[in-house]
Amino acid sequence: MSHSRAQLKKDLLGWLWVSPWVIGFLAFLAIPMGMSLYYSFTDYPLLESPVWIGMGNWKRMLSDEVFHAAILRTAWYAILFIPIATAMALVIAALLNEKVKAGGFFQAAVFIPTLVPMAGSAMIWLWMLNGEYGLINQAIHAAFGWAGIEGPNWLQNANWAMPSILMISLWSIGQMVVVYLAALKEVPDELLEAGALDGMGPVRRFFNITLPMISPVILFNIITLMIGSLQVFAIPYVLSAATPGNDPRAMYFFTSSMYDNAFRYNQMGYASAQAWLQLLITLGLTAIMFAASKKLVHYRA
Amino acid sequence: MTRRSALAAMVLGGVGFAAFGPRGAKEDARGRIVLDYWEKWTGHEAAAMKKIVEAFNQSQDRIVVRYLTTSGIDQKTLITIAAGDPPDVVGLWAYLVPVFAESDSLIPLDELDTKGEVRVDRYATGFRELMTHRDSKGKTRQWATMNTGGTLAVYYNKAHFREVGLDPEKPPRTIEEFDAAHRKLVKRDADGSLTRAGFMHIEPGWWSWIWVFQFGGGVYDAANDRSIIGAPEAVAAYDWMQSYSKELGVDATKKFRAGFGNYDSPLNAFLTGRLSMVIQGPWLANVINAHGPKDANGKPLIDYGVMPAPVIPSLVDPRNPVGLVEGDVLVIPKGCKHPKEAMEFIAFTQRQEHVEALSLAHYKSSTLAVSSEKFLNEHPNTGVRVFDAVAQSTQGFRYPRTQAWTQFKDELDGMAQRMWSIDKPAKEMLATVQARTQSYLDRAEEQRNLRGRSIRTATPPTGGGA
Repeated sequence: MSHSRAQLKKDLLGWLWVSPWVIGFLAFLAIPMGMSLYYSFTDYPLLESPVWIGMGNWKRMLSDEVFHAAILRTAWYAILFIPIATAMALVIAALLNEKVKAGGFFQAAVFIPTLVPMAGSAMIWLWMLNGEYGLINQAIHAAFGWAGIEGPNWLQNANWAMPSILMISLWSIGQMVVVYLAALKEVPDELLEAGALDGMGPVRRFFNITLPMISPVILFNIITLMIGSLQVFAIPYVLSAATPGNDPRAMYFFTSSMYDNAFRYNQMGYASAQAWLQLLITLGLTAIMFAASKKLVHYRA
Repeated sequence: MTRRSALAAMVLGGVGFAAFGPRGAKEDARGRIVLDYWEKWTGHEAAAMKKIVEAFNQSQDRIVVRYLTTSGIDQKTLITIAAGDPPDVVGLWAYLVPVFAESDSLIPLDELDTKGEVRVDRYATGFRELMTHRDSKGKTRQWATMNTGGTLAVYYNKAHFREVGLDPEKPPRTIEEFDAAHRKLVKRDADGSLTRAGFMHIEPGWWSWIWVFQFGGGVYDAANDRSIIGAPEAVAAYDWMQSYSKELGVDATKKFRAGFGNYDSPLNAFLTGRLSMVIQGPWLANVINAHGPKDANGKPLIDYGVMPAPVIPSLVDPRNPVGLVEGDVLVIPKGCKHPKEAMEFIAFTQRQEHVEALSLAHYKSSTLAVSSEKFLNEHPNTGVRVFDAVAQSTQGFRYPRTQAWTQFKDELDGMAQRMWSIDKPAKEMLATVQARTQSYLDRAEEQRNLRGRSIRTATPPTGGGA
């Protein structure tokens, strides 16, 4: 057997071994992405063949008021959720990193909500946030009722829809806490001890030593949070459908619009263009974050 | 195991799965044709349909219907038709017929119904339009049969009526009479919080826009493919809605409503007595019987009556009440494997005894032009004759027959809450929504234009809107 034939056989064998992944990649990612890119330039009502309309869908996005409102709402959600979730997760992780009694219990308690399916947690919060019987308003009434302060109609008042969704999202940051906790445990003790010897207090040590040391993990978490925020869908979708008397548009996000156009309004072409816009925005923001991270993120040599 | 044998096993497994893996059976073990029927119902409604399916399966030995209850049936049907592998029969909501019909995605029943067993004139006046629509060439065809019907009317609590001195046997007919009854029925506690409302337009809020018709208007002008939600009749209807909100208090009603439970639960506002009147379909009687308070013998304690939804005086006609006529339909998707057998099954379900059995189990009125006296007398909904009258009425109205309706309706539903909250005057809000809903209709027309089947033959008239 010649050398080239043996090499060819080896190559073929290699391809055969990776073929399950390659087939999966082509069938479920590359080809669908290519098709959706094509559809984004067509009018495609699903039940009929796509018709090429060039930039029609992309131009339409410029004048679609409902979509603009959905993008703005998604942006607000991301702007509010990312810093709050990051700060909360860091604080909780820092607390859990201290040697406290029953630390394992608290770690589990923080992590467990992430195991609840999105739709399930939305249903739980639906009752927690009920304007009249909800646990949260009952607690507000018990604490501040004497001063005439009562809880709002969280889900039925358009102004309170965003805080409600944020609250529910923050409930399941346990996974991020675990990642931060692991990162905190990796911070070398000798650095912290050196800081202490130099007269740094715990707060300064945290900001000057711990934070820079875990900054790559923070960057990773912020990017995943940003991607998740741009794709927020399940919680507002379930809450909106299950809340009588709410304004459905108050819980209408980028992905809600995409879903409706694809599967309810028979405008798969337009939905495909929206999906590609979402991808481009995500890529753009990620690139900006990576560029900014060059100065802000500290990588250990 | 060597690498070679592992690879061989993997390849063989893949080939074997492709060759012998699961796929839809065309015939069962007894050689009968297997017909796939997808339906959206669950619980007792699904069980009632299953009985009819079983009766069909036992009535002959050539076809067996495989009955599948599924959620999201509209989207699944859409996708399976697009993929070229739909079920043989699907139970859809009637308002979806235009979406599927205009793209010729269903098989016209008038093509298959050679014996005339499901002709539209067998059905009550109000339902006939729901089964037909134009095809891609503009020709009106019959695409569906009614499976069950659903008309709307107002349920009222007779005990509440008596309590405030209203005659429960003479319910209000006009908007003015209705307002007077509502005001009498409102109750507040010592600190002014609402404990009972006569009526609230947004409860349950499933048909927020229907009041326009009670004022003699509409939301869609089919002849000109225009949104008319800004027309004076609509402004009057939404002004009326806002008058209730103003009187009861926007914040007060929001808080009051927050305590309403789910529709299908003991906390339903009509069942708890928090609402004295509510717009609903015949199916509410089932909820009353299942979840409402009962006496020691299990007899429901809520003494309810049913009246047609109130209208302006010029529309009052006891024989032709104004009300929404909608329903569930059976269709045969294009590309299905057994259209003729599907038609045979559908015809079986449309026999009077089956239509009435299903309607009884669903607490609904019949879809047929003539109901048997036995059906009307034995019906568990004491108001069934009112619902039947709406179905037979010449003043019944339907969801607009346009493929843009889902998007149109989402806009109207979103507006209803803002309307109730009195964010802006009704006229101003309606002008914005008219423009936006018109853009949805224009978009649908663009889609048709791209495929050479415009429905706008003439220049649409100007004016008429807000």
